[in-house]
Amino acid sequence: MAQAGGFSFDLCKRNEFLEARGMKGPGFTKTGTTIAGVIFKDGVVLGADTRSTAGTTVADKNCEKIHYIAPNIYCCGAGTAADTENVTGMVASQLELHRYATGTQSRVITAMTLLKSHLFRYQGHVSAALVLGGVDFRGPHLFTVYPHGSTDSLPFCTMGSGSLNAMAVFEAGYKDDMSKEEAMELVARAIRSGVMNDLGSGSNVDLCIISKEGVEYKRNHEYLQGKTYERQFPQRFAAGSVPVVRERVYDIRKAVTVVEGEPMEMES
Amino acid sequence: MEPGGMAQHDFLSQPVSMGTTIMAASYDGGVVMGADSRTSTGTYIANRATDKITPLTDSIYICRSGSAADTQNLSRYVQWFLEQHGMELGDEPEVKTAAKLAQMMAYQNKNFLQAGLIVAGWDKHEGGSVYAIPLGGTLVKTPFTIGGSGSAYIYGLCDKLWRPNMTEEECRAFVVKAVSHAMARDGSSGGCIRTVTISKDGVKRTFTPGDQVPVAAGELPPPQRAVPAQV
Amino acid sequence: MATALPVRAQVPAAGQATKQHASWSPYDDNGGTVVAVAGDDYCIVAASTRMSTGYSILTRNKSKILRLNPKCVVASAGMQADMETLHKMLHSRHVTYQFNHRRPMSCPATAQLLSNTLYYKRFFPYYTFNLCAGLDDEGRGAVYTYDAIGSYERVGYGCQGSGKELIQPVLDNQLKAASPLVLPQQQWLSSLPLEQAVDLVKGAFVSAGERDIYTGDDVEILIITKDGIRTDSLQLKRD
Repeated sequence: MAQAGGFSFDLCKRNEFLEARGMKGPGFTKTGTTIAGVIFKDGVVLGADTRSTAGTTVADKNCEKIHYIAPNIYCCGAGTAADTENVTGMVASQLELHRYATGTQSRVITAMTLLKSHLFRYQGHVSAALVLGGVDFRGPHLFTVYPHGSTDSLPFCTMGSGSLNAMAVFEAGYKDDMSKEEAMELVARAIRSGVMNDLGSGSNVDLCIISKEGVEYKRNHEYLQGKTYERQFPQRFAAGSVPVVRERVYDIRKAVTVVEGEPMEMES
Repeated sequence: MEPGGMAQHDFLSQPVSMGTTIMAASYDGGVVMGADSRTSTGTYIANRATDKITPLTDSIYICRSGSAADTQNLSRYVQWFLEQHGMELGDEPEVKTAAKLAQMMAYQNKNFLQAGLIVAGWDKHEGGSVYAIPLGGTLVKTPFTIGGSGSAYIYGLCDKLWRPNMTEEECRAFVVKAVSHAMARDGSSGGCIRTVTISKDGVKRTFTPGDQVPVAAGELPPPQRAVPAQV
Repeated sequence: MATALPVRAQVPAAGQATKQHASWSPYDDNGGTVVAVAGDDYCIVAASTRMSTGYSILTRNKSKILRLNPKCVVASAGMQADMETLHKMLHSRHVTYQFNHRRPMSCPATAQLLSNTLYYKRFFPYYTFNLCAGLDDEGRGAVYTYDAIGSYERVGYGCQGSGKELIQPVLDNQLKAASPLVLPQQQWLSSLPLEQAVDLVKGAFVSAGERDIYTGDDVEILIITKDGIRTDSLQLKRD
């Protein structure tokens, strides 16, 4: 049956019963994370590490934690990976429709309000801890959004399990009206301190610079460390190690006809 | 397996809470509202320059204490209601209307909220007025009130220092002094002091940076900073 | 004129009623991985040197290996305080043994001693996961693996600690673990030459360091032969 929309709570009662009987629910991929952002002279710089963890094992060594919200707004996510991805995706699509309806650029405070309303409605059960940044006609904006739906507007902010490491760097090194290069270096240094000192954070540093001129998304801006050892006697499998039991070749040209397509008319 | 020491800073399961000092006091011609600027998650200060004095209309403000999420979202609802009410009225809403609206939200949802509020402002009917809305959703009109965890330390001080018919400057000095004493004793209050003064002439804000907060007895003075703070 | 109440007077907020006080535990997991591989005439013992608690690193350079004598070492992962206590105890028992018997304790004897020491604390165990490794009386590599309360067995290779789920299957695959059900019983010693075995151990640690957050920084490697103990080290990623 088609879903009417929204979350399905069908199995909540059953799961409550099973958990009372001692069954453990499935674990989720949490991004024990370092994310951060600063406002500089003419924009904002967002930063994130790229490790995602499931318990104490690394689930993804190079994931993307800086999510698209609007052409002028991006958002770093910490918490449960599924929640950060979906909540930012939902707000991005709402804002896109809003732009079609109004024909104006999206405002950062609108994105922030949509995020906090959603998170507040779910009373902290949607565990997304976000650093939202962007530039609109009022200038650069930077917000933190907590899972329970509270927000703070700050010139520099951090989130995630490495937030204390990153905040230590910011508190020591932040200045008002930094240049773009200064801001990038400060954010990269904050993320690096999370990567090196917080076990929940690791791998590479992603940056995203948003200014009036546009967006620079620097995926893997810093690649900190590669493999430290190459095997001297690597295990190699000779060709033919896997026996071929049967081979069958299909000629798909007999089953498929290729038709040239016509470009669709677009209203201008 | 849960990592052992995760409890040290569990930013996901601990709600952001404003262990706070807030207050509002009326003087001849208006009201002064005051608050510290600390927001914490457990032992970590999530924001050391918070603005806990939020506008509801142009001349009515609300001091928020308790859960940051609850009070922010409650305030947004009240802002929205008052905006609609103001349009229907064709005039500025009254402070008592704003206070009643906030009280209704706090009372009807009391099982789901942690919100200690102070609504204050100026309107042409009653001049400056202060309303206290403590945790359960009671509504009390009062010449002055204090709230938040830090208020416990300054009841005596405020009862002693507040008097009717102060001037604007006297009242603001009283508020700054009271909040600074609460910050000195309460671990979950601190940072800077913000005040909002509302009268028929409009709204004035002041900001006292951390190193210019009056030093209480037994405290060391803060270190001199190289570049003076921009107030 | 007192009207305001201090916050948090009565109603616990939604979600805050639970877990106000984190209950105290005498145990802490400081992470780390130890591996040992026995060969015909050698034994390799390796341990990562990171020590952590929760999400933070306490030190990047903590040895987890106790060298009792040139033919026997004990490597432990788990809780550092218990490891230290256990190693101190074993060291002191070994010194006493040498006074009484005028020779170092053999590897099989140490293995039995370690088991007894662990079982002595059956109802308040040492939170340590141990390997005892070295050369036996015939000069062959010997590895003994334990649970926290002293159950032990002699094996050809062993792995304990936070990275064991990642490393053990690799060793099983590469060292052709003989199933204990296969008859006639096969010997447990690795037939790999020493260099290849060291390479395998290093490769296993590098891979574990990629995926286990508690394995990193450095690996301390001991190579035990009849000529004594040689050390080697390997750097791992520090993130």
